[in-house]
Amino acid sequence: MKKALNTLLLSAIIIGVSALLVAFVSPQDKKDGGAWNIPAKYKEMKNPHSDDASLMKVGKMMYSKHCKSCHGSKGLGDGPKASSLKTNMRPLNGAAFQSQSDGVVYYQSFIGRDEMPNFEKKIPDDEDRWAIVNYMRSLK
Amino acid sequence: MKKILICILLLIFSLSHLIAQDTEDQEVKVKDKPVRSPFESGILIDHQTSVVPVEKTLQFVIQHKFGPIDNGRTDLWGIYAPGANVRLALDYVVAKNVQIGAGLTKKNKYTDFNLKWTIFEQTRENKVPVAVTLYGNMAIDGREKDAFGTGKVRVAFQEDNINDFKFVDRLSYFSQLIVGRKFTDWLTLQTAVSFTHYNATRVTNVQVPDGRYIHEDHDKVGLHFSGRAKISPQTSFIFNYDVPLKIKDISEQLEWLDYPNPNLALGLEIATSTHAFQLYVGNADGIIPQDIILYNHNDWTDGGLAFGFTITRLWNF
Repeated sequence: MKKALNTLLLSAIIIGVSALLVAFVSPQDKKDGGAWNIPAKYKEMKNPHSDDASLMKVGKMMYSKHCKSCHGSKGLGDGPKASSLKTNMRPLNGAAFQSQSDGVVYYQSFIGRDEMPNFEKKIPDDEDRWAIVNYMRSLK
Repeated sequence: MKKILICILLLIFSLSHLIAQDTEDQEVKVKDKPVRSPFESGILIDHQTSVVPVEKTLQFVIQHKFGPIDNGRTDLWGIYAPGANVRLALDYVVAKNVQIGAGLTKKNKYTDFNLKWTIFEQTRENKVPVAVTLYGNMAIDGREKDAFGTGKVRVAFQEDNINDFKFVDRLSYFSQLIVGRKFTDWLTLQTAVSFTHYNATRVTNVQVPDGRYIHEDHDKVGLHFSGRAKISPQTSFIFNYDVPLKIKDISEQLEWLDYPNPNLALGLEIATSTHAFQLYVGNADGIIPQDIILYNHNDWTDGGLAFGFTITRLWNF
């Protein structure tokens, strides 16, 4: 009986140490999301509210409620949920994000893919979505 | 009373028709959209709000009230105290602004089925200045039959006879007309009138001169006030106040000897994209609205306060 217990304990230690070593050799970095496949409809989409400054407050409220928990309050990708994601988030104030057209940003933000969820039903009003796009533009 | 309720319903239906036609005429010019989130959730502490999520949304609701705080540190202000209550519920939005749901509550082993319909939403250009919502539920008291009093409608004022007990004695109903307005980006207030009916009610501790103990009333009209004041994009102060009205015409009591107390609850709400977290302190141990209106004998000033929380989680399909 004692021998069996010793064997069991030894097995547990070996498995535990192996798991620890594997954790060290496994890649720790998050994966890059890769290039987006944006449909032509969205590439050509124009922002009908791009000059509407009154939507900035709405955009900020909506961003705080729906986006901040992952993207962070300044769009740096450092929100409280960010650490649990497997995909690396681009900073929203960076050139790579800001150089995209409003339609592309709209697609990435509300249609989404993989870990970036679809927000069409959570934010059903189109004007509210453009308000968020406008607010994200102000983060640069 | 029934006639008044029927008149109110007819008025709402006719107004709904008029406003719908008006809206159609003006749609060609400018579409007046509903105001943005008057409340962050369809439930405010234990009230309904005018908010119904988009169609095909499933809502999971967790409502919990700890025991009373009157034992102070000994019971860690209610967290260790007996008398806690909990309700778990699922609601589903079957059509635009129409939600159905069902819930299970620990107190009295209630199972409730409910329906909510937001008839009008307040609009941004004030063409519709208020949101109007109808809410109704039916609850089944699931306790053993000997837990019930003698206050049955069928045998009211007769001697106890538990053999008369029927399934219908377990049923209670609550119907409510809610009118709310978002006044500013940070302030929304709503008021409501409700009608509560229990087919059988409990016996109170109050004895009348002929030796009998009185029962709770079977019918109650209630007034409700609630609101939220935002202090940041995600955080708000919230409150509820429920008043059971003393209306002699529908009461079975000759004098008000053991009348239910109003319920006042104050709290804080934190909302995210799919969750609303509400932490509060209030003086009703019930969770379903008819129980709060008819059976709340806890007193703010006499150790009746308890902490509680409500959490909602949404899934879109």
